[in-house]
Amino acid sequence: MSEIRPNRPITPRIEAEDLPAARLEALPDLPDPAPRRIWSMPALVGTGAAVLVIGLSGLETVNFVADEFIRGAALGWASLGVAVAGFGLVFSGFWREARALGALQAVDRLRADLAGTDAKRRVRAARQWVRDLPEGPALLPAIDAINDPDAVLALLRSGPALALRARADALGRTAAIQTMAGIAAMPSPGLTAVFVAWRGLRLIRQVAALHGLRPGLFGTLALVRRTALAAGAVAGAEMAANAAAHAVLSSPVLQHLAGEMAGAGVAARRMVVLARAAEVACSPVPPGSEG
Amino acid sequence: MNILKPFNWIASAAGFTTTVRVGVTGLSRAGKTAFLTSVAAALLARPSPRFALAPLGAGDTPRFDHARHLAALAADPPRWPERTDAVSLLALTASIDQSPLPPRRLRLEFLDYPGEWLLDLPLLRFSYTAWSDGMLKRLEAPGIAPLTREFLTFVRGLPRRAPADEALAGAGSRLYRGMLQTLREAGMAYLQPGRHLMPAPGPQPPWMDLFPMPGDGPLAGLMAKRYDAYVEAVKRDLASPLFAEVDRLVVLADVLTALHGGAAAFADTKEALGAAAAALRWRFSWAEAFSALTELRLPPRVIDRVAFVATKADHVADRQRGNLAALMKNLAQIPGGGVGTAHFAGASVRCTEDFVWTLEGRPVSAVRGRVLGQNVLTRSYPGEVPDQPPGEDFWAHPFLALPEFEPMRLPDGGRSGVPNIGMEAILKFLLGDVL
Repeated sequence: MSEIRPNRPITPRIEAEDLPAARLEALPDLPDPAPRRIWSMPALVGTGAAVLVIGLSGLETVNFVADEFIRGAALGWASLGVAVAGFGLVFSGFWREARALGALQAVDRLRADLAGTDAKRRVRAARQWVRDLPEGPALLPAIDAINDPDAVLALLRSGPALALRARADALGRTAAIQTMAGIAAMPSPGLTAVFVAWRGLRLIRQVAALHGLRPGLFGTLALVRRTALAAGAVAGAEMAANAAAHAVLSSPVLQHLAGEMAGAGVAARRMVVLARAAEVACSPVPPGSEG
Repeated sequence: MNILKPFNWIASAAGFTTTVRVGVTGLSRAGKTAFLTSVAAALLARPSPRFALAPLGAGDTPRFDHARHLAALAADPPRWPERTDAVSLLALTASIDQSPLPPRRLRLEFLDYPGEWLLDLPLLRFSYTAWSDGMLKRLEAPGIAPLTREFLTFVRGLPRRAPADEALAGAGSRLYRGMLQTLREAGMAYLQPGRHLMPAPGPQPPWMDLFPMPGDGPLAGLMAKRYDAYVEAVKRDLASPLFAEVDRLVVLADVLTALHGGAAAFADTKEALGAAAAALRWRFSWAEAFSALTELRLPPRVIDRVAFVATKADHVADRQRGNLAALMKNLAQIPGGGVGTAHFAGASVRCTEDFVWTLEGRPVSAVRGRVLGQNVLTRSYPGEVPDQPPGEDFWAHPFLALPEFEPMRLPDGGRSGVPNIGMEAILKFLLGDVL
């Protein structure tokens, strides 16, 4: 039987660390998600049109399949197979979109819980997020052992969130280099703009995939919106991102390219910032300090 | 109750400018200037309603130089804003959309003034004899006896019928001022008169040579006259033109430093906060309103919201900030209630980040930041903050002095706000109804 140690108070202390450290930076606050709004007019019209198209075409298809069965069993089964396959693909696309949007909303909920003051909800949200991560099995016992929600949050920040951020930064640096090279190969400014937009979108999706999100079309649009919101908050941390971009773009060839083409360096730097913004938007861990 | 409210509402609905005056008060070294700098940065960075600095016209009160203070915080290496040694005013205006009515013009005025002067307000309620007796009694408290011995020995050695001699008055005043300085350095807060610690600019009038003493001889009579002149100056320069015109109030106190100062310093801070709260105008008086109207003046304003803020909350971890706010609630209450009050633990300018420190084999929520002038991080776990005035057991354990951390780097040079803790909640409470 283990010895029970008395719960004596911990002695207060103040200690200087050994290594020099930069001045602390204010970390971005993720803007609050916009309040839930009732359906807008375009959403009502769009949904109504979708219901009409899918509903009426569904009814029409059912009638058609029934008619085909009257004409002959083989024709009936064939038309039923075609209808099921077609509608199945359409609905699986819808289902995938719905799942992606649901996953994004789940991130918002987890973030709200982790940032909230309710200790139980914070710990529960931390467990829920960690469970799906590769390092989950190693972290869950640690979370269970630390009976302090602040410590749990600090653990998440210093562990999985920091690792994800590092990987998102790496994706951003790769995108920056590709953007530089891609812009050099573009024959016209119009194509350059299309290329930069496409690479930015791809980067956002890559960062989302890093966080276990698989956004479809609407999911990507929602993610772009969240990233745009987070990018405003990340502006404060842009100095750090710029430093990272500078390190990436320090190769003589890329520097030459950047010197030759006005805006190429800026676009590449924006990729690094975009990666950080997308990371903030996709991560349920509220911005804070890494312990 | 504020009988001017309906008129304000009509004026604002008609598109006239409404003025809300917020007093930023607090005990000495509580961080009023940093608070006001942070407030200015937060309001000026708001996208909606958009605030701008307002002209001060031909008024007497100097402008609060928020740009200079912000530049000091944003500098590399940073500096803390200089201490306030005179009253200053920060005025901001905004145009608030209230369609279909015309936009409403709002003018926010924030007053900053030396914290030492706040404790001059309770003097208005006391005669010299009552103040002197109370002060001498406080100075005899066992916890501070070594610090007050020299002055008390002088006072006790004075003959009962001591002559009104300038040399005696000057010597007593010098001893008293020196003792007040020593007490302040020891963490005591309830120190009067405030101008002995933070004199008003310019040459000092004779009534500044003032100290408490017992008896009714000629010297005591001289001190009583000087006390009356001092109180009159407080009434003329501070109470009537400034505090009587305040609608909202922020009271700041550095409770954490008081916890470090020990039982005597903590009790003193509590008493000082109580005295300051009791001295301010909280309730509407029909008699005063009637008296003002007969003199063709507007009735004096009544403070209808007050935020008590325990400052430097970034010096303890997030987990302890709830306790700090609860402790502030226990320390600062409006006598009689009836006023909208809220208690906060906040940091106007954030200096630290939270982290988990493993001490004695256990994880502890702590903070770390760079101390001014150093380039390494300093970890700090000063101790547990109690949620109510601590008992004897608490003082058996040390609560460490707070390191003087440097401010975090200000994003965008402070133009997009200052990193802080709790400022949004404080502003929402104070100004939520007018914004």
